[in-house]
Amino acid sequence: MNGTDLTAVLPLLILTVAAVVVMVAVCIRRSHLLAVWLTLAGLAGAFVSLWTVATVAPIQVTPLLVIDGYALFYMGLIIAATFVTVILAYGYMEKQQAYREELYVLILTAALGSAVMVASNHFVSFFLGLEVLSVALYAMNAYLCNRKLPLEAGIKYLVLAAVSAAFLLFGMALIYAQLGTLQFGQIASMLIGGVSYDKTLIYPGLALMITGIGFKLAVVPFHMWTPDVYEGAPAPVAAFVATVSKGGMVALLLRYFYETGAYRLHSVFLVFSIIAIASMIAGNLLALLQNNVKRILAYSSIAHLGYMLVAFLAGGDRAAEAVTFYLVAYFVTTLGTFGVVSVLSNGERDADSMDDYEGLFWRRPILAGVFTLMLLSLAGIPLTAGFVGKFFLIAAGTSASLYGLIFTLVVTSVVGLFYYLRIIVAIYKTPAEVVTTVPAALPALSRSGNLALAGLTVLLVWIGVYPGPMLDVIQHAVSTLRIF
Amino acid sequence: MVLWPFVVFFFVVLLVPAGMIVLSHVLGQRHSEHATGSPYEAGIVSEGSAEVRFSIKFYLIAMFFVVFDLEAVFIVSWAVAAREVGWAGYLEILFFTIILVATLAYLWRLGALDWGPKTRRKTR
Repeated sequence: MNGTDLTAVLPLLILTVAAVVVMVAVCIRRSHLLAVWLTLAGLAGAFVSLWTVATVAPIQVTPLLVIDGYALFYMGLIIAATFVTVILAYGYMEKQQAYREELYVLILTAALGSAVMVASNHFVSFFLGLEVLSVALYAMNAYLCNRKLPLEAGIKYLVLAAVSAAFLLFGMALIYAQLGTLQFGQIASMLIGGVSYDKTLIYPGLALMITGIGFKLAVVPFHMWTPDVYEGAPAPVAAFVATVSKGGMVALLLRYFYETGAYRLHSVFLVFSIIAIASMIAGNLLALLQNNVKRILAYSSIAHLGYMLVAFLAGGDRAAEAVTFYLVAYFVTTLGTFGVVSVLSNGERDADSMDDYEGLFWRRPILAGVFTLMLLSLAGIPLTAGFVGKFFLIAAGTSASLYGLIFTLVVTSVVGLFYYLRIIVAIYKTPAEVVTTVPAALPALSRSGNLALAGLTVLLVWIGVYPGPMLDVIQHAVSTLRIF
Repeated sequence: MVLWPFVVFFFVVLLVPAGMIVLSHVLGQRHSEHATGSPYEAGIVSEGSAEVRFSIKFYLIAMFFVVFDLEAVFIVSWAVAAREVGWAGYLEILFFTIILVATLAYLWRLGALDWGPKTRRKTR
């Protein structure tokens, strides 16, 4: 560890220090606003430090972490998403009767775990990051512990995440037992370097690892927890689980399977194809049966991860770009939809039933417009980020001739359109009651939440209409990934 | 890979406890007095249900024990290699300990270390 190494891990250090500072601030003076400002300052500091780090990147810091353009891009994405989550959480938590400040310590810790994951090219740092993320998420899911649903969500997540971590660890152990290395780069040279080796333990190891990774990504058949956790967790936390937690794992999935070359193994390809198809079909079909908006979003996120896997399977630079771009669009949209839910929620319950959105347009036209735009982006309608993202996914899939997967993607997207439209129809339905008396009784929405939503909407349309600059950044970042 | 020792081992693992249970069932004596079914055949007759609610404080104590005990493990493992890891290692363990102290201060401030009844805490 010398000066350059410390510079390279500056974002991680800033996040760590920010978490401790917020905790100390809470025990000196309990103030919600102070905690939020300190958190935002820490996140902004970490984000700005990325440019300092870029001057020394790419660099391998200890055998555990690699700080390259790819890691920096994903760190930026995670920090930005956490920033938005914190703003949403501020408006949401103001309405709650609970200790509010500790949530930000947990959010910062979880963001740190995710940031470690995207920079890891070693099993140890992978697992370390994953656990820092997961343990913080257990507490975040059950944060409003005087309600029933968050507790249920917290316990379910705890049990399942712990079991899946055990699977992952066992998989790593088997691969280590066979190859004698924990480093991605060395695994690659053994796996496809032409050295003949015994495959007895490699395949079980990979299968167990895919189980652990699949759980975090919430892809079928490891998706059972998703709807319950999304429904139970406080809306901003659900947004965090859907974006930062999954985003970190997607980044790692790309790095691990591309840098070790494991995606070229025929059986791995087959398993991921089945997972992708099952996720697209099950996610979209099960969403049709839901009446709870948060559950619909949960199933839709399962389907979206399935879409991403299609491009992931295509392999190569273009595929990594497509997945990354889709992830950016997915981040913006998911934060937006959960943002609307958290802005509308109150101190007793989250606004997750269909009735909460009936005739929303006639009560809050601007919010209804934002929500519509977000849902259209999830459905992949042109002029939104979701459309451009889906376009790149299909382009990547076509270049690798994955026609079966693309066919499933297109057909299930059409099915998916239906349940997004169901929410949109509910929003614009004219209420049977008198319209004019309602607006006077409406409580004011939190200003911070509105600000975050406005920012997300601008970003959504910008990426949808003019994706060039974002694409350049992503291309530059992904080019540092060493793909075998 | 030689597989048969594992298979043999697996069946031995199954056989040993099964053998113990079966043998003690066959060879063991049987009797049926009126106190045979009770948890202890001597002493005070047990009463009430075992479903007693413990105070949440016990869980807290147990959790703090696990947390801080584990931290001690990390510090000791540093102490063993203190000379070899040098100043960098010292800085890292220092940072670790500072975070630990901050956590302790936080817990103290939160009242997690006040184990007495609530009324006593207020008078202090």
